Formats: sequence, C-alpha cells, structure tokens
Amino acid sequence: MVLESDLELMLRVREGDAASFEALLHRYRVPLVSFFCRMVRDQGLAEDLAQEVFLRVYKSRERYQPEARFTTWLYRIATNLALNAIRDRKETVCDAPGDDSDSGPILDRFADPQPTVEQRLMRADRERLIRQAVGALPENQRVAVILHKYQEVDYHQIAKVLSVSESAVKSLLFRAYETLRVRLEPLLREGQI
Amino acid sequence: MKCLETDKLISYAYHLADESAASEVRAHLEACPHCREIVEQHARLDGLLDEWKTASPRPGFDVRVRQAVEAQQASGQAWGFWGWGWTRGLALASLAGLMIAGLLWYAHSYLRVSHSSAIATRQSHAASSAQNPSPEVKIQSSNSTNDGGVRPAQAISASALGVASLNEDKDAQALEDYDLAANFDLLSELPKRASRVVN
Repeated sequence: MVLESDLELMLRVREGDAASFEALLHRYRVPLVSFFCRMVRDQGLAEDLAQEVFLRVYKSRERYQPEARFTTWLYRIATNLALNAIRDRKETVCDAPGDDSDSGPILDRFADPQPTVEQRLMRADRERLIRQAVGALPENQRVAVILHKYQEVDYHQIAKVLSVSESAVKSLLFRAYETLRVRLEPLLREGQI
Repeated sequence: MKCLETDKLISYAYHLADESAASEVRAHLEACPHCREIVEQHARLDGLLDEWKTASPRPGFDVRVRQAVEAQQASGQAWGFWGWGWTRGLALASLAGLMIAGLLWYAHSYLRVSHSSAIATRQSHAASSAQNPSPEVKIQSSNSTNDGGVRPAQAISASALGVASLNEDKDAQALEDYDLAANFDLLSELPKRASRVVN
C-alpha cells in the first residue's frame, strides 16, 4: 500500500473527499495532541486545540495553497492556537511551582510494565523538572524546541511556521538548548552516574 | 587552545551545522576537553528530553473531530440558508419598504399639490365672478321689489354662484368675499336710489 502524500490528501479534501480528511486525521492526531500537550500541559485542552486545528483545516480547505508544505501550514495553525491558549490561560490558570497534577495519565500510559514505586517517583520527578524547564523558556524558544525536538520539524520549516528567518530559528534553538542544559545540569550529572 | 563558540557546539550537537562546520567542530573536539564536555552534555540533554512523554489522544477523539466537522457542515448550510438568505431577505425587504414609503410620500405630495391647485382655481374663479357677476345669477329676496329695492346680502343664493360644492374653509372665505363685494356694490347705490325715491 502506497502512502499518499499530505499534499495529495489535502487536494482531495479540498475537492470534498471525506476519506482523505480521515487519512489526515489518522496521520496527525497523535503528533498534534502531543504538540499541544507539551505546549499547554493539559490533556483536555490539548485535545480541544487539536480538534480545532482539524476543524480549521476543514474550514480552510478551499483556501489551501499547495505551494506550502502541509505540515508547515498545520503547525502554523497549531502554534497560533497554542500561544493564544497559553496567553488566555495566564489570566485564569495559575500552576503552582512543582505542580505535578498532570503527570499521572502520562506516566501511567508510558511507564515501564513493572516499575517499582521508587522508579516511578524518580521518573515522575525528572519529567516534572524537564516540563518545568521547557515551560520556563520564552514562548518562541519553547515553540522552536518542541517543534524541533519532539515534532521533528527541521529548522527550515520552523522558520516558515514562525515566519522568521532560518538564522533566527537557529539562534532561538541555540539559546533554548543552552538554557535547558544549564537548568537541567543536575539531571545530566545524575545520568553520568 | 581557544574554545569554540557555544553556538557552533550546539549546532554540531543537534545536527544543525553544515558539513564543513561540523568537520571544524569535530577536529576541535579532539583537542579540547572543555568543548567536548559541552557537546556531551547536550547529547545527554537530548536523551533526557526524550523522557518527557505525552499521552495519545483519548478514545473518542476522532469521533469528536468528526462531529465538529459535521456540525461545521451543518452550520455552513444553515448559514447559507438562514445566514446569507436571511441577510439578503432583510436587504430586499428594506429596499421594498423604502420604495413603498417613497411612493406613499410622492402620492401624498402629489395629491396635496393637486388639491391646493383646485382650491386656488376655485378661489380665482370666485373672485372673477364677484367682479363680473354672471347674468345667470339670480338674486332672491323676500323683500325684493320689482323696482330693484334693497336686497339683503343673505338672500344671495350660493348655489346660484356655482359654488354649492365648496365645503372647505377657504371656499367659505371665498364666498364671504363675494358677499362682501356684492353688498358693497349695493350700498354704494343706496344714495342714488334714495334720491330717486325722494324725487
């Protein structure tokens, strides 16, 4: 079975083909929810935002320009939604430092089959520190790191998503990764042991 | 040995450097333990960041997306019917209302002008009749005499003047003017008639 490209699928969606929309939904549901989970750190909100992205893709199908890569377009929509959600939440939601309330389901799902209680706690603590370190980055650096590291989007494409130059994206990544290295140094030293 | 800029090291660690820059860093790292340590830390950081896992969409996510799209389709149709159709209908109704209002205003203005013209014509006609009484005018009086004695103004029949249909104030005013003119004529003749009687 030959996988159809995003472009082919999207052009068919533009013609009103529901099956092609389903294929795009199946292909990008996990990456988008993961992206939003890391951006907004709330599973329910992440799913709502991912749903909104698919809805906007559907609503904008007739305006889709095949010149741009589908994922560029997709992540541009997603990034805008995520940043707006973060800005909106700043006024209404106040996460306490070290709040680990959203780690449960994630750990339950991805933990090793039979981890000990101690292992689970250590892993939860490390993950919390990583989340906090990434979450403390400035918005653009955070988006750049999440797209680059977790969504595997190359910096050329990130530049298009963020509408900045490639050198600006590299600069964002350099600063972000260096900040993370300094902030997570204790964990990095632990890993050496 | 001078250490390389951190950007170059990070660029190398995350595969952001082109091949020539990567070769330069590789050569430097062989001789610089400090820079090598930084690159190794970034390699460990890359692995550490992988520990941040996220959940997959919960069951029912696809269904919710489909429902949202279907709702969008439905609202799009409703908008097409109730939205644009309603707006267009309102615009047409407004236009029709304006046209009707314009017609009514025009009709009202036209009727008022016509009515005023008719009244003016009648007034003009009445005034000219007063100056040149018609031969058909019959002056009736209970005290009338064959010798043309004094004829009270009240005895003048309005119907004889052809203004029986006048029932407006202006029409009545025109009639009064006529009566006054007629009475003035009669009064001016009184001295002559009196002297004639005396003689």
